[in-house]
Amino acid sequence: MGAFQTVKQNIIERYSNIVDNSPKFAKFVNEPLKQSFRVNTLKGEKEEVLEKLKTYDSKIEKVKWNDNAFVSNLTNLGSSIEHFTGQIYIQELTSMIPPLIVKDVIEENKIIDCCAAPGSKTTQIADMMQNRGHIIANDSRHTRIKSLRGNLDRLGVTNTTVSLRDFKSFPNTKAELYLVDAPCSSEGTIRKKNAVARKWKEKDYERFSKLQKGLLKKACQMAPKGSTIIYSTCTFSPDENEKIVSEILTEESIDLKRINLNGLKTGKGITEWNGQIYDKEVEKCMRIWPHQNDTDGFFVARMEKC
Amino acid sequence: MLASLNLEKKTQILDYCKERFDISKKIFDDYNWYLGSKNRIFIGPDKIERINPESIGICVFRLNKTPKPTTNFLQLFGNQIYKNVIELNKKQTTDYCNGLNLEPETDVKPGFVIVKYKKITLGCGHWNGNLLKNQIPKSRFCKINYL
Repeated sequence: MGAFQTVKQNIIERYSNIVDNSPKFAKFVNEPLKQSFRVNTLKGEKEEVLEKLKTYDSKIEKVKWNDNAFVSNLTNLGSSIEHFTGQIYIQELTSMIPPLIVKDVIEENKIIDCCAAPGSKTTQIADMMQNRGHIIANDSRHTRIKSLRGNLDRLGVTNTTVSLRDFKSFPNTKAELYLVDAPCSSEGTIRKKNAVARKWKEKDYERFSKLQKGLLKKACQMAPKGSTIIYSTCTFSPDENEKIVSEILTEESIDLKRINLNGLKTGKGITEWNGQIYDKEVEKCMRIWPHQNDTDGFFVARMEKC
Repeated sequence: MLASLNLEKKTQILDYCKERFDISKKIFDDYNWYLGSKNRIFIGPDKIERINPESIGICVFRLNKTPKPTTNFLQLFGNQIYKNVIELNKKQTTDYCNGLNLEPETDVKPGFVIVKYKKITLGCGHWNGNLLKNQIPKSRFCKINYL
């Protein structure tokens, strides 16, 4: 068994107790993922762009829980003229979820994307805002800022300020929405990225967990009353998900909100893992397992500062 | 470090946009203008106190002896530009996106031009009367398989 397969097997076994359908989970983890994308309406009309794309792949399908998400059998849409001109953005379906669950607070507001690079969610939000309002897109690493900047330019995003800073030392800034899409062990992307398997280490859970809590805590402390905070990761690990949210719930003045996206099958947040009991409220978090919607794995929580 | 762009330079850019591409000043109404390093000009939202930005909005011009529009700027506003357009055929388009210079037939006045394929804006070029010099940033060069 190759190293990649071993890591997949470890992941399947590690979560067999908390996943709703273990055999299906195992099956989907071993299946490749189709390329997904969205149309960037800052640069093109959705129907017009789609019509053109269908001349390359007539089987492009719309995703039922997202009006602007599509799946293609092609693996190289990045070499299409539509990608070159920024009319489409190749993005994992699950990565499109955080902006979708805050549609109600996005309009013309101020938004801080704490860990923004490479800019998938930033550019998606800018599209939803039609370049109105103001997004502060921050990241702590210079190399990642370059890819963020490149995507903002290609997609024609004009309402964004890019900042290079460790978010934990970010100056207090009031906004209506704080997006904490935290660095994580990325287990959820195992269907796609061999790199996850190559880099995967057991001790990463602890390292990421510490980093994630610091980022979310800072966002919660900075957020004014009534503002919204989204915490998301692309990992299955409860140590990086429910545990973080549960600890923040006890330490900071925040409420968890229930999340729902029509047509998207989801699981609840788990309240017990490895002998640890989490706050019952974390059930309101959303877990997406690969077999539920044929996607990556993902976790998201919506909070409100009170 | 980004500073607000002074009125003289802003006027120079707006006049150039009008004269060279027939772009109305109105499309810039909602933007703030900034001057960054290497004479790069940005348009974007307000500056936020205490945040030292890497960039704001989008880089639209480089101001040396004459203003040079960026590919990002032309791609964003290209659907409103009909003056000094060089239209390419399919083969020329893939070559241009791949970073090549071209020798298209055109009667456009020498200077910076907007390069299009059908209705799609590819970006910026410099036409000297004989050669269309590719102005797309190297980082954006791409082998186009689907057109």
